Amino acid sequence: MRRRVVITGMGVVTPLGSTVAELFTSQIEGRTAVGPITRFDARTFPTTFASEVKDFDLGKFIRNAERYHNCGLNTQFALAAARHALEDANLLDAGKGDRSRMGVYLGSGEGSDEFPALVRGLAHASTPGSQAVNAGEFVNVMLKWMNGPRESEQEMFTPAGHLAGVFALEGPNQACQTACAASSQAIGEALDIIRVGEADVMVAGGSHSMIHPLGVTGFNRLTALSQRNESPCTASRPFDRERDGFVIGEGAGLVVLEELEHAKKRGATIYAELTGYGTTADAYRMTDPHPQGRGAIRCMNDALRDASLKPTDIGYINAHGTSTQANDSTETAAIKGVFGEYAKSVPVSSSKSMLGHLIAAAGVVELVISVVALRRGIVPPTINYGTPDPECDLDYVPNVAREVRFRHVLSNSFGFGGQNIALIASRFSE
Amino acid sequence: MRPNRITDVTTHSRRTMLTGLGVISPIGSGPAAFWDALLAGTPGVHTITRFDPFALPSKMAGEVRDFSAKALIEKSYRRTLNAMARTIEFGVIGCQFAMQDAGLARRTVPPERIGIEFASVMGATELDDLGPASVKALKPDASGPDMAAWGSAGLPEVPPLWMLKYLPNMPACHASVIYDIQGPSNTQIPGDTAGAVALGEAVRILRRGAADVMIVGGSEAKVHPLSLSRFNLFSQFSRRNHDPEGAIRPFDRARDGTAPGEGAAAFILETLDHALTRKAKIYGEVLAVASGVDRGLTGPGLARVIRNALASAGIAATDVDHVNAHGLGTTKGDAFEARGIAEVFGKSVPVFAPLSRFGNLGAGSSLIELACSVLALHHGKLPATLNHTQPDPDCPVMVHTGQPQTVTRPCAVKLSYTELGQCAAVVIRKWTE
Repeated sequence: MRRRVVITGMGVVTPLGSTVAELFTSQIEGRTAVGPITRFDARTFPTTFASEVKDFDLGKFIRNAERYHNCGLNTQFALAAARHALEDANLLDAGKGDRSRMGVYLGSGEGSDEFPALVRGLAHASTPGSQAVNAGEFVNVMLKWMNGPRESEQEMFTPAGHLAGVFALEGPNQACQTACAASSQAIGEALDIIRVGEADVMVAGGSHSMIHPLGVTGFNRLTALSQRNESPCTASRPFDRERDGFVIGEGAGLVVLEELEHAKKRGATIYAELTGYGTTADAYRMTDPHPQGRGAIRCMNDALRDASLKPTDIGYINAHGTSTQANDSTETAAIKGVFGEYAKSVPVSSSKSMLGHLIAAAGVVELVISVVALRRGIVPPTINYGTPDPECDLDYVPNVAREVRFRHVLSNSFGFGGQNIALIASRFSE
Repeated sequence: MRPNRITDVTTHSRRTMLTGLGVISPIGSGPAAFWDALLAGTPGVHTITRFDPFALPSKMAGEVRDFSAKALIEKSYRRTLNAMARTIEFGVIGCQFAMQDAGLARRTVPPERIGIEFASVMGATELDDLGPASVKALKPDASGPDMAAWGSAGLPEVPPLWMLKYLPNMPACHASVIYDIQGPSNTQIPGDTAGAVALGEAVRILRRGAADVMIVGGSEAKVHPLSLSRFNLFSQFSRRNHDPEGAIRPFDRARDGTAPGEGAAAFILETLDHALTRKAKIYGEVLAVASGVDRGLTGPGLARVIRNALASAGIAATDVDHVNAHGLGTTKGDAFEARGIAEVFGKSVPVFAPLSRFGNLGAGSSLIELACSVLALHHGKLPATLNHTQPDPDCPVMVHTGQPQTVTRPCAVKLSYTELGQCAAVVIRKWTE
């Protein structure tokens, strides 16, 4: 029989709070943290606002935080969320359990560029009157203007490596980057690692911040971000006809996934069982989803099959719901493709209406919200919902949270590059 | 010892076979040219020519010369090249080479039954992409950017698709569009172990039945002015600038650092049933992949990962023909790796370190190094390690040097690790009908 996997710990760092309780309270109260960008002066950017984590201090989460001061926010947020998740699971003490059977799977983004040095170096090495940069001279000055210790902490393996180091998680160690689907994919594949017996515990999720000059520049050039600068709080409006792009957010989330018998033997609190995972590729375009939601439909169906559930068993769908034109209509079509008539009656909502889009960290934070919703019997709303869109005609739980009792929740994550992930969490029962 | 895997892989109905290989490397591209260069001992590390390296403390790298993505990419896809940095070009062409070598075309395999696992990084920006914007945003005193000027005058100068040229998951995305790959697609990023864990995940995906065929690849183009400025600030790179071909000296007493490389390797991995049904050429079998962390790079953690891989593969140390080490040529790195190997194998198994021939390909490293062992088992000959002349008591392993030797045992073990102690071990076996 297949090994069953349960969630026994959760930790988050989000714009709406850095405890699971705070985050969920904000969600059911319909609050948002979107406001002007404070990390850098973005006043002349096409988009001037974001959903930022405010007053973050790693020292509140781990001892010797100073050791990690050169790390990017991707690593720092991950360390903070992991500390809460492991404490929640009662596995923080490195003496607990066989640490070689506990691993890490992180969907993490890039570290930070040294933007001021980069611009200075490029401008210095640019040949007047031409578009070309003299690479040799660029190297010459960058060797002086960059900070070596800081650069050494910006590698793609840094966040997952430090998680293993700080918390003595010596088992399988992976990190993936599949854009906005990354942390959900990390959780799904970590589930499989436990199922096949390569580990008993996996700390899985994601961490990301793209609220830096090149991150916002890149998304602005792709015209992916909302430009509703006159009203940032209402900019993230998934499924609303007036939506004009996503709101960039940042943060981290980690869940402790644990093999059921392992969890029972040590008397762990079981929040939910992770029962279903589906993963597909659109094979369509770099940024646009397949117009009929081909890959999205198949990944939701795969997750249902993996969990041995029927569509009508799902009591709540936590949508990817980015507030872009393409995602929200395509996701709606895909949900209808999977759920048929039942699509009209199942509550669907988007956490991003309040949180913004945490990019690589979005999926795990939305899974955490889904699990708390499952346990409490309350579905968070989609806020800023005002004008119905004929192409988005489901029950999006507009603006006000709702009490709903349900046993199974499905959470979608889709990413640039045509990455589709669906996860299903279920109330635990023997 | 607890079984690492519930199923016994040797009797498993979904054994995972390597049936295609694509290589783009400083010593040759394509399995035949690459193998010839390995046997001949052709060195691939030279003085950097892609840009003037005068300011770099270490001026050497394994460069891929005469590479033209435009000439090689699927014609229908050529217009998308403007959205691909060099890392991505290597990756996509590497996948094409692997598919061609395996005799697979678009939709040979039903789209839902083929997936991709790719090892990659966030690419460093091409300088010319941000040069004009930087000029417009520079403060009058040239001390850095004026953010208001960047937002109003610089940002519009940035190419619209700029971000997409560098995203790690783009090799997998482009390959999926070119070949209509609709199965699982993931992109692994943990540096030098990324290719190995991508292979491990592809094995799990095939075993759980989510696909029948997987592309497993990795690529990185480290020979880039911004990347090498960064690496030279914190990595141990060799200063043997007068002798680039002899610069990387794995496990040698005179080693003084590594050198970067560039390129790609990609495999086609498929279930045995699928490979036999379509009468595919089989290079070898992947028995197991294990990963884990050796905190502090001391050795016992790496040894544990190797033992897990052997146990999971169901083989003994005596089945191993050679250990294929990462062998960076760094002082601490090689000593660490040797301690891990010695704890499991002592000095009884030859150690082969191919990286001294082409440099460290980063996210491309574990798979291109693995390709050397796959070809060695396939051809029955193990090439030698270049530049190992003086054993080092800190590295208590037997390094295979000199002439190629005959392969005598069926399996090989490939090791990879990062500076933070993330380790991976891959076990492969020679295929015999």
